[in-house]
Amino acid sequence: MKLDLHNHSIKSDDGRAKVDNYCKWIAKRGLDLDGFVLSEHRQWDGESDYRALEDEYGLLILKASEVETEYGHVLVFGVNDDLVNAFDFADVRIPLRTVLAEAKRCGAFAVPCHPSRAIVGMFSHFDEFGPAEGVEVVETLNGGGRGTENDDAVHLAAQYGYRGVGGSDAHIVSHIGRCVTEFDDDIASIEQLVTALQGDRYRALSVDLD
Amino acid sequence: MQIDIEAVKKEHVGFAFDETTFDIKAETLANYARGCGETEARFLDPGHPDFRAVPNYASNFHGRRNLPENFPADILRSFDAGKCVENLAPIRPGDTITGRSHIHDIYEKTGRSGPMMFVVHRMEFTNQDDAKVAVVDWRLVMRLGEM
Amino acid sequence: MSEEARRFEDVDFGDEIPESFADVRLATVHVFTEASGMTFSRFNDHQAARKQGMPGAVVPGIMSQGIFAAKIHEWAPGCEVEKLDTVFRAPLIADTEVRVRGVVTDMDDGARTVEMDLTMLNEAGETPVIGTALVRLA
Repeated sequence: MKLDLHNHSIKSDDGRAKVDNYCKWIAKRGLDLDGFVLSEHRQWDGESDYRALEDEYGLLILKASEVETEYGHVLVFGVNDDLVNAFDFADVRIPLRTVLAEAKRCGAFAVPCHPSRAIVGMFSHFDEFGPAEGVEVVETLNGGGRGTENDDAVHLAAQYGYRGVGGSDAHIVSHIGRCVTEFDDDIASIEQLVTALQGDRYRALSVDLD
Repeated sequence: MQIDIEAVKKEHVGFAFDETTFDIKAETLANYARGCGETEARFLDPGHPDFRAVPNYASNFHGRRNLPENFPADILRSFDAGKCVENLAPIRPGDTITGRSHIHDIYEKTGRSGPMMFVVHRMEFTNQDDAKVAVVDWRLVMRLGEM
Repeated sequence: MSEEARRFEDVDFGDEIPESFADVRLATVHVFTEASGMTFSRFNDHQAARKQGMPGAVVPGIMSQGIFAAKIHEWAPGCEVEKLDTVFRAPLIADTEVRVRGVVTDMDDGARTVEMDLTMLNEAGETPVIGTALVRLA
């Protein structure tokens, strides 16, 4: 199944898309997508309940977070109460080692996103801080990637032995589905997504929507 | 220079710090519209019965001050990250528009240029009849390492 | 309202503004900067902009916002652009090829409004300017 692992709604400061409009868009355009993840910036959205939309559109809608570390931005899948209490999601200087360790302790999974982008990407900090320890997966394909960012991410992920996922990083409705992750196994919950990410039966895909 | 975002927020968010008036001229409105590539006569032809400013004209207004006094950042070192204009009534030639400024929000995030302070500068505009004509949110980005 | 006004009933979720080019020739930027008072050299002079570290003269952010509005008016003459929210992600350079796209992403039957996603694409296919608009149709 194909999931778009990185999107933002109006819950994020720079997000302009309503979640129901993402669903309508996927249906209207017939996108080859089984679901998507909302990874709001610097917060955990514990309130929103998208089950009615899931039923209406036959999509899996999961929630995650995009937090900020000294190595750049990191997607965290499987956020729960324990993890919410482990560090301040609004802090823009959370140590990456804390995010990785606490995610692991709490049964979540952390994935540095747009890793080849300057400042906000993990690889851009390797010269200064050295390779990050404990990273297993990075977002090799990001829908907002400019220039050679995604190519560089694929290349560097291979060099460091990281597995890769894809996410659109959509902030407006029409940008969803540009980069996705294809999983060999079915996923029906955030717990199953975390389990899948811990394995290696998936791959990042870029989708030409033009 | 280290900035305490919460302290800056507490001191500056929500307080009006500028009021400036603008006289609206037909020729300027038409030229502005031409520069935007407008094709409709109601924006280009001062003789049109519904002649008015293009929808984003209020985005161009600046107060005498762009930031409050004692604000711990320099506007000249900021980036324009975006503008949102909400139109409530047409702006027409001959209008006198008053813009009142306050800081609507301040928050911190890391962008492609490093740790940054985002400042949402809001200007609310009324015309000579005290009717609200537009609200413009201007998102200014300031690199935290450069203050 | 003009005769060719686009009515709400004629629009569907997912409808697109036909892709078109934005006029960001330096001469047009001059017209805009003269009218807006943005007569800074980084907007009006390629060489001066390059000296300031830009690839060329920069199209003012609010000019790109105005271009979005103009493209909406071309698509739906007589409409009211009630809200226009534009994000400037990277500089848009004058005298380059810039394509503009728009698509309907929400509809409100009661208010007869549509929401639109707006994008500007540069020659590399990147989107240095994106936005959303709330538009009231006839």
